[in-house]
Amino acid sequence: MNLVKWSRIKSPWVFHFNAGGCNGCDIEILASLMPRYDIERFGMILRGSPRHADVMLVTGTVTRQIYPRLRRIYDQIPDPKFTLALGSCACSGGVFQQCYNVHEGADKAIPVDVYVPGCPPRPQAIIDGAVKLLQKISKS
Amino acid sequence: MAWEVGLLALLSTLIYPGIIFLVVIALFYQWVDRRFYAKLQNRYGPIYTGPRGILQPVADLIKLLAKEDIEPSAVDKQIFRAVPVLILTMPLTALFMIPITGTWALASFEGDLIFIIFLMTLIAILAFLGGWSSTNIFSTLGGMRAALQALGYEVPMAVSFMGPAILAGSLSVSKIVQWQASHGLWAILLNPLGFGIVIVAFLAELERIPFDIPEAETEIVAGWQTEFSGRKLALIRLALDLELVLASGLVTALFLGGPTGPIPIIPGIAWFMIKTLVLVLIFSNLRALFARFRIDQMVSGSWKYLVPLSILQIVMLELLLGWLSF
Repeated sequence: MNLVKWSRIKSPWVFHFNAGGCNGCDIEILASLMPRYDIERFGMILRGSPRHADVMLVTGTVTRQIYPRLRRIYDQIPDPKFTLALGSCACSGGVFQQCYNVHEGADKAIPVDVYVPGCPPRPQAIIDGAVKLLQKISKS
Repeated sequence: MAWEVGLLALLSTLIYPGIIFLVVIALFYQWVDRRFYAKLQNRYGPIYTGPRGILQPVADLIKLLAKEDIEPSAVDKQIFRAVPVLILTMPLTALFMIPITGTWALASFEGDLIFIIFLMTLIAILAFLGGWSSTNIFSTLGGMRAALQALGYEVPMAVSFMGPAILAGSLSVSKIVQWQASHGLWAILLNPLGFGIVIVAFLAELERIPFDIPEAETEIVAGWQTEFSGRKLALIRLALDLELVLASGLVTALFLGGPTGPIPIIPGIAWFMIKTLVLVLIFSNLRALFARFRIDQMVSGSWKYLVPLSILQIVMLELLLGWLSF
């Protein structure tokens, strides 16, 4: 396997963006960073700045207010970048589908690589989604 | 043979104990630090990259080097490009003056301790410049905090460095190590307070958690590093790892007898590794133990407590030397 691809698979740094969610998914992300699940085992670190990140975790239904900001933050991540839509809201809009103030799901705003459904998804599901994303990177 | 001496000097500068060796142990210490920090928090830390995750810092470095390098249109381009390169050269230059394999460093002259203090101040100033040239509000705040924090820790650290220098009667790090080796006495025995102050000051210099105010993630995104991406960020991270080696190496040389030890069979490099590893573990233990201070608490605390304590240490040392009539 080539060296650059190996390093990309082994150190995906994560940037977390809440696009108008209820914080349920965000607490599950924290749970997957905590001792019980500890996704730093796979080399994933939560970074504060989009300039440092490789993977964007989007939670929450994308509201009209956050839509341009989500686009802008996504453009600030340097290539190659990947997106993980977390929770039913980010996948399809969830229970807020067809509301007057939402774009239904993160894929209406930015390209999404992996969808993790659930309201909220368990940390096991988040890790499973992350592993699927890493498999996708290794095949690309 | 002149060319053989030249070749040896070149190899020792480039490979061992020069640039390549220093980069390798810097990456190794980053792994040790992350694993130990994770263990203290009841986690595992990186374990799947190479044997026991030991290649994790290498993977991070290669990935960042291969990533896109974004330069926002508003940044001050020249300074923005120069800062990552310069900030990497500072700890490398300072590490050449620290004895690693024997009692002599690669480069040593009378007064190189002062030069090392100067280089470490330049690192803080470069952090400020990096934040300022980014023209991002978070970067500017982080750079300001880095410069303010340097005003707090520089003075007690420099005063505490003078303790071993007074003992050895020299401002050269190599000569301080030789004094400790020839007297069979570590400077920490006469400077316990100075050792503690230097550890605290280096936590601030390294921007570690009780003093990670310049890159406080919960307040100002990533501080002065916010706008750096790709290979610029890779160089900055490598520089911070080398700074950890510099901090532990300097404390080892000044207070713990440098690369010498009570058992003469073990080579100097092994003593250096043992002592610096213990110091790295102390740094990560303190990182896991504390919460972040505010910037005003940090600066006023270091002027109120660290500076008087470091002066007290020098006074006590002089009195002790007079009493023992060294």
